[in-house]
Amino acid sequence: MNCTFPTVTFPAIPNLGTTACPKTLNTTSLKNPIPFLKPPNKIHPIKLKLIKISFRTRASVSDSNDGETGNWVKWIPTGAFSISADKVFRLISGATASPIYQFVSSPTTFLHSVDPRIKLVWLLALVVLPARSHIVMRFGLVIFLFFLSIWILPRHVWMDQLGRVSLLSGILFIMLGLGADGVAPLVQLRTPPPAMMGLPKLPASLGGYSYLIMKLGPLQFTRKGLSVASIAACLTFTVFQSASLCLTTTTPEQLAFALRWFMLPLTYIGVPVAEIVLTLMLSLRFITLVFDEVRNVALGIVSRRINWQHLTMMETIDIFVIYFRRIFKNIFIHADQISQAMIVRGFRGDSKTHKIYFLSESSFGMADIVSLLCLVGVTGAALLSDYYLV
Amino acid sequence: MNHSTLFRASAALFPPPHSTSSSRTNVTDNIAIDGRNVNFSITTRQGKVVPILRDCSLRIPSGQFWMLLGPNGCGKSTLLKILAGVLSPTNGSVYVKRPKSFVFQNPDHQVVMPTVEADVAFGLGKFNLTCGEVRSRVSKALDAVGMSDYIQRSVQTLSGGQKQRVAIAGALAEACKVLLLDELTTFLDENDQIGVIKAVRNSLDSSEEVTALWVTHRLEELEYADGAVYMENGEVVMQGDAASILDFIRVRQSAYIKQINS
Repeated sequence: MNCTFPTVTFPAIPNLGTTACPKTLNTTSLKNPIPFLKPPNKIHPIKLKLIKISFRTRASVSDSNDGETGNWVKWIPTGAFSISADKVFRLISGATASPIYQFVSSPTTFLHSVDPRIKLVWLLALVVLPARSHIVMRFGLVIFLFFLSIWILPRHVWMDQLGRVSLLSGILFIMLGLGADGVAPLVQLRTPPPAMMGLPKLPASLGGYSYLIMKLGPLQFTRKGLSVASIAACLTFTVFQSASLCLTTTTPEQLAFALRWFMLPLTYIGVPVAEIVLTLMLSLRFITLVFDEVRNVALGIVSRRINWQHLTMMETIDIFVIYFRRIFKNIFIHADQISQAMIVRGFRGDSKTHKIYFLSESSFGMADIVSLLCLVGVTGAALLSDYYLV
Repeated sequence: MNHSTLFRASAALFPPPHSTSSSRTNVTDNIAIDGRNVNFSITTRQGKVVPILRDCSLRIPSGQFWMLLGPNGCGKSTLLKILAGVLSPTNGSVYVKRPKSFVFQNPDHQVVMPTVEADVAFGLGKFNLTCGEVRSRVSKALDAVGMSDYIQRSVQTLSGGQKQRVAIAGALAEACKVLLLDELTTFLDENDQIGVIKAVRNSLDSSEEVTALWVTHRLEELEYADGAVYMENGEVVMQGDAASILDFIRVRQSAYIKQINS
């Protein structure tokens, strides 16, 4: 580090003597002490009292400094922390502006023409069924969703979606499968094994049943593990993938329309359905602006070409604080402008008097009938699977 | 330069108003926008009054496309916001035909709904229309700005120019008589600038009653306008037909360049 002593400034202290120097300021500890306190020619005792002393000191040390003062500098991380900060900002600035799955208008598929209300019922079914049905049904639903995604979505979309969801579900499956019975014995049932109590060993199953499915060193994959892992992994897969499928084939207005349709009876008990629907629509618009803002501010910082390696940890943190403060400020400006635009466009603050038009056709067609029949079939199969599949 | 079409926006042409209300008094039917001696000032935290607009008077005939020109910070957007009713003048009177629509400089501030169709229909929420009527208006408005193929597109996926067109379509769908447009081409590239300005021009040509006031500081956009108002330091300096205003500005520019070079 160079010895620069950039801002040792003592403004407006004319004819100030060394007697005015505070005792705490150790001038000898600096390597190149600049004679900033010149010996006075004349010291006027009364004048000295009136002078308001204002010290602003900044000091840095050089690598060649042998004095102990400079040792603290090496404890402040600079390089690695700053490089990772640079990476973080570059990652954010290069990220997609719409990380949440958005509507894909073309090619128009079978799912695009299904009524959004039916899609919502399907979503609910796909959340409940994996948890309440046989393992075969669970995996069946996963495979069904997998192939439906490939059939419905464009290649780049399904590859991206299925890749992420499969990875997440796979990790969950492995961790829970091996971890369910691999927990330390302290938290397990403390009953001693039969051999210790003088009981005969349990006879092996004639039907080939074995609680332990697989053993991997200290880890074991048991039937309990399989059950827990399959429920968690399948549920994760179906929840994420069905939501993705729904969002990519349904416009936000259609979703809002379906929600409003289901919530309409709640208006009788005073639920502000119109307000909820408007809020949902505004949020769906606003969320993309937030992501845009996060990305743009990061891009602004990256484009300044900051030499991160020269910054201390505190200075890097300071930039992050500035970054977050800027994001919030911009978001509030956006919110303010949007509310102004809403007023200019005729919104007077009452969701009941300002109608939200849902223009998408929602006639009940063949696609809806087929979809409903499939839903009934899948639900029936899931319910029966518990009885007939053992 | 055709000086006969130019006139100084002086108080002599616009007698001082008797009240600051927005009601129309002595304005003829073919005037869409009439501002008389409009003043606007703000008070700083220190209590200092800073004038933004000084005695601004302007009169824009119906069915025409006018531009409000001037350097940055001269008060164009403030005057437009006063005409739109977003701000109230400190003094003076303003008349603007109704219904009127205001389009913001940044389309991200104007477009409030997540998809194109929903956003264009948003402004119609204040009317009691059937779904069929709304659909027809949305379709016509999007057609006028050349965005009919994007009806179900997410706003997020549109370019700046496309968003700006959607914002204009939202204003057109309301069947407004006056369009107040605030520097719509600021964030756009050359192609989108021309696309947006042509979209406004076409929508005006297809309807005789619509008047548009377009705030800009790009002189090249004047060729699409019927008339223009030129502002400087919070004052309306000149108003008249587009060609004359263009000449006037060029004369000032050359005089300024000579002054620098001398």
